[in-house]
Amino acid sequence: MGAGREFVISLDWVRDKNVMQLKKLNTALFPVRYNEKYYADALSSGEFTKLAYYSDICVGSIACRLEKKEGGSVRVYIMTLGVLAPYRGLGIGTKLLNHVLDLCSKQNIPEIYLHVQTNNEDAIAFYKKFGFEITDTIQNYYTNITPPDCYVLTKFVAQAHPKK
Amino acid sequence: MGASLPPKEANLFKLIVKSYETKQYKKGLKAADAILKKFPDHGETLSMKGLTLNCMDRKVEAYELVRCGLKNDLKSHVCWHVYGLLYRSDREYGEAIKCYRNALKIEQNNIEILRDLSLLQAQMRDLAGFVETRRQLLTLKPTVRINWIGFAVAQHLNSNGSNAIEILEAFERTLEDDYPPENERFEHGEMLLYKVDKLGYKEQQVSLLIKLGRVEEAEKIYRDLLSMIPDNYRLADTSFRYTFVLLRYYEGLQKCLGLYSENGEYKSEEVDQLDALYQSLSKQYNWSSAAKRIPLDFLQGERFREAADIYIRPLLTKGVPSLFSDLSPLYDLPGKADILEKLFLELENSIKTTGGFPGSALKEPPSTLMWTLNLLAQHYDRRVQHEFALAKIDEAIEHTPTVIDLYSVKGRILKHAGDLAAAAALADEARSMDLADRFINSECVKRMLQADQVGLAEKTAVLFTKDGDQHNNLHDMQCMWYELASGESYFRQGDLGRALKKFLAVEKHYADMTEDQLDFHSYCLRKMTLRAYVEMLKFQDQLHSHAYFHKAAAGAVRCYIKLYDSPPKSKTEDDDEISRLLPSQKKKLRQKQRKAEARAKKEAEEKNEETSTAGVSKTGKRQHTKPVDLDPHGDKLLQVEDLLAEGTKYLKLLQRNSSKSLETHLLSFEINMRKQKILLAFQAVKQLLKLDADNPDSHRCLTTGTYRADIFISILIHLPHWKAEAGDEFSLPGNTSPLVGNQMGFSLIRWRRLKARSEMIHLRKNIWRRVWAISPLLSPPFIPSTTPSYIEWLNLQAPESVLHILFGSQSSIDVSPMVEFAKGLEASGKQFIRVVRPPNGFDPYEEFSVEWMMEVFEDRIIERKQGILVKKWATQMEILSHESTSVFLSHCSWNLIRFFHRVSRFSAPANDSEKLVWSVIEVERPSLSQLHEKSLIEMNRSFLEKHTDSLMHRAAAAEMMYVLEPEKKLEAIKLIEESINRSISINGALGPVKQWKLKDCIAVHKLLVTVLVDPDAASRWRARCAEYFPFSTYFGGLRSSAISQSACQESLNAPENGGVNSQESKSGDTHSLNGNIEAFKAVTI
Repeated sequence: MGAGREFVISLDWVRDKNVMQLKKLNTALFPVRYNEKYYADALSSGEFTKLAYYSDICVGSIACRLEKKEGGSVRVYIMTLGVLAPYRGLGIGTKLLNHVLDLCSKQNIPEIYLHVQTNNEDAIAFYKKFGFEITDTIQNYYTNITPPDCYVLTKFVAQAHPKK
Repeated sequence: MGASLPPKEANLFKLIVKSYETKQYKKGLKAADAILKKFPDHGETLSMKGLTLNCMDRKVEAYELVRCGLKNDLKSHVCWHVYGLLYRSDREYGEAIKCYRNALKIEQNNIEILRDLSLLQAQMRDLAGFVETRRQLLTLKPTVRINWIGFAVAQHLNSNGSNAIEILEAFERTLEDDYPPENERFEHGEMLLYKVDKLGYKEQQVSLLIKLGRVEEAEKIYRDLLSMIPDNYRLADTSFRYTFVLLRYYEGLQKCLGLYSENGEYKSEEVDQLDALYQSLSKQYNWSSAAKRIPLDFLQGERFREAADIYIRPLLTKGVPSLFSDLSPLYDLPGKADILEKLFLELENSIKTTGGFPGSALKEPPSTLMWTLNLLAQHYDRRVQHEFALAKIDEAIEHTPTVIDLYSVKGRILKHAGDLAAAAALADEARSMDLADRFINSECVKRMLQADQVGLAEKTAVLFTKDGDQHNNLHDMQCMWYELASGESYFRQGDLGRALKKFLAVEKHYADMTEDQLDFHSYCLRKMTLRAYVEMLKFQDQLHSHAYFHKAAAGAVRCYIKLYDSPPKSKTEDDDEISRLLPSQKKKLRQKQRKAEARAKKEAEEKNEETSTAGVSKTGKRQHTKPVDLDPHGDKLLQVEDLLAEGTKYLKLLQRNSSKSLETHLLSFEINMRKQKILLAFQAVKQLLKLDADNPDSHRCLTTGTYRADIFISILIHLPHWKAEAGDEFSLPGNTSPLVGNQMGFSLIRWRRLKARSEMIHLRKNIWRRVWAISPLLSPPFIPSTTPSYIEWLNLQAPESVLHILFGSQSSIDVSPMVEFAKGLEASGKQFIRVVRPPNGFDPYEEFSVEWMMEVFEDRIIERKQGILVKKWATQMEILSHESTSVFLSHCSWNLIRFFHRVSRFSAPANDSEKLVWSVIEVERPSLSQLHEKSLIEMNRSFLEKHTDSLMHRAAAAEMMYVLEPEKKLEAIKLIEESINRSISINGALGPVKQWKLKDCIAVHKLLVTVLVDPDAASRWRARCAEYFPFSTYFGGLRSSAISQSACQESLNAPENGGVNSQESKSGDTHSLNGNIEAFKAVTI
């Protein structure tokens, strides 16, 4: 983009009145319809699910689920992260992911993870850039795509206030 | 007050007045009763008691008491004043003013009464009176500020502006000594503003200067004004008010420079001057978008292209959804749409290939392409190329599926293309994307109503109302667009009761607004909000010419007309319908009805209780029981005694307030024709011709109006009991073909032969009286299953040669006439078919006796092939509809007598007023410029020749052709079908635009179905239009949602997000990462 044409990228949280925007994005980005549980999780995750706006146009989203582990600690699972094709390369994905990472460190959530198909090297490289590591491989995770295996990428977040 | 009472009671009386003022009505009542115990005839107390009761909702008693009080004390101003107050509370302001005046006669200088009087005079716009009363008030109490100001306002309203200013200045002088105390500062400021109103003043000055021709001075002031605006309104750059003000100033400036033309056409040197002017202006006021936008109106050709390019680019980059509506007026100017189309396409192409605008190195943000596509979609929509428009908007939606405006635009395109259901679905989708946006919600409701989904619309509308009494809430909020749109929808669906209810609700809102101003007459003076007050009064004067009111009143009138034409089914008919159902169905239906009724009743009661308890607890003294709607379906509204009189009520409001609208006069014509007010109908026709003589509807009214008047007059002057000779044909003025015959010494209205029921209906429509058929009406083609012998015989006869004789199927004649009749018949030598029964006194089913000579007679006539006897049952319809049948000789049956009875009640224009009406019509008729002594048929023909290329004009001419010459029905249909949907020539490369509008084609289809009644032609028309309008649900176009689901596919998909199992949702995660891959590829580049 040229000089003097800075466009503001802003984030907004998801609630009933704009959940349709998230649905629209998912319809455009992923060839799968998500079920009600996905949206319920996203809505209840609060700040962990965000819509990204490019000069007032909703163009991307990150949707997370908060999971309680045994022993009471919480971890974050990234369900989806995506940006509409024409708006990629503008740092919107980075902004969304950073937002969630910041939130984790602020709220002392130590663990954040996601699934990625084993051949998806670009995605793996992207997440590694943010400090994610391959912690596990699940055979035959996917039913209808090849390869059917996936890695679990995990990032252990340094805690801002370890004792609190 | 209370002077005639002893001290104790006088005190009590004061207490009454005080309790009235403080709304402690019960206390006042008690005091009043205490006085009345001792002085039962004390007028003033009686009056006050009445007034108090009035406030406690005991109206009847109140009037009785007040009148009684007045009778006892006619000389008391209190009684008169109270009487006036009572009338005022019932909104009878005229009466109230009279009472006040009487009170003032007794006590000239009573300030309270004077004040009350002045308020009502303002309300009734008795301006002279208002000024006078205000003057009196001022002279009585010159120290009170309000009196000064009231007088000034009164002068101003009475268009005496300079006086008003003088008064205010005089008042200011009195103030100079002691500066207004702190708390009055604001009010004082208001007053100064009122007096000065700087902008307004300058505007005033300018218009005066222009009138005086002092142009140069005016120009200077306009420039001043322009420079004043930025100071005042810089922050409100985008506000509408500002834009309009600015536009007016720019326009004014142009006028001053002699560079203004009404029709927007300028000479080239003028364009140069204008261009220079605006360039300097836009440099001066860099922030002003108006200075950049206005030149697009007058620039031409290449310079227009350049200016438009410069204007549009930043707006596309910024993403301004309203850009198209800003440019939209340019499409009405010749040639500009083509230039814009090329420009848009160039921009689109450049962004797609290079990522930036043509000739620019700057990369555009990704959203620019989407906004450009959006602009193009609206462009094609405007040019009626719906297919291209949809392609572009779909591309935009695919590019960025989260922009709500795109869905609204697509909905709008589909609406224009005629697919109302799909349009509503899209609007609903747009709504679902931002549930907190009231505008989108409202737009969705409107689309749903347009698609006649009233239930759904109501549910959507109440999403934005307060909880609880939701539907009434819409009414209380005076949500008029909603009421109008649902009224229209009910009207389309034929639910006249509900439609009427909605329309009348809107009408009621306007009445309420008029009433509401009463509160402001005193409030505004007290609070000194003078500018707003004067503005409000001016607004109120124009109130009923508001578009919403016009729509509502017109809607109501149409409802009444439709009701009059086709009264709703009576109860018995409903029962008939029920009786056709199976017994089990019947039972179910009844149960259902009973349950529904019970439920509604219970709900109503509950609500009633709720509100009444709430009313008591909250307000204590006064019960604000909101009446529960007892007539939710508007059934009671349908049961008006005189529908046309009701309609006339609203028509009059229309005539008074929107006399410039064709629709007003069309409705006036329709109503007055039905009321048989020929002169008023003619007046409407004259107005129509004055407004737009070439309008198809004007032509229709002119022709039918004149035609019906002609027929009516003709019948009246030819009626047998006035003057008539046997065998006359009735001629019509203006050489229309004769259609009324006078036969057999009776006056029979003979529509040549009454061939078909439709013609009878036609006749009924054209003369306003009831008409009965004498002979049975013939239904169109009657095809019997078997051919009886008499029909075979008829088939052999020449056309129109046979006499058909039937003296009733049950009755007969005596023996001797029967024989004589046979002899005469035989001697006449005419072909005949005779249905015979045994003569009177014999069993009708008995064999024929030789004495009646029938056998011999029959042999003879068969031998001579003169006729045939039918001794059993003959199907009369078959014989009468046979083309060989010429004359029908029948007994005079009851129907016949009834007909003559009616005709004989037509009276000659006996009295003076009727004679006057006739003579006026006789004079008026030729004066209608369109007629020029021509016959109606000739006039219709020349109208057609003049507008032979226009579909709607052809349709009107065809309809009139059918009215004037019913036998030319086929020709009329042909006239319509031969219309050609021409292409409008445009330079665009994207296929031709057809001329016809969807709305018009639908109107023509309705004409074919309801007026010309030709199902075949109608279905041919439907098929033809389905091709022109592939998205139209009305014509069942191939691409409409009525046929395929493609149009609303997306909206169907949208809610389907359930049903995916967890396994699939996992795979969804992968896809999300797939999505990421793309994103991150770009990141790494």
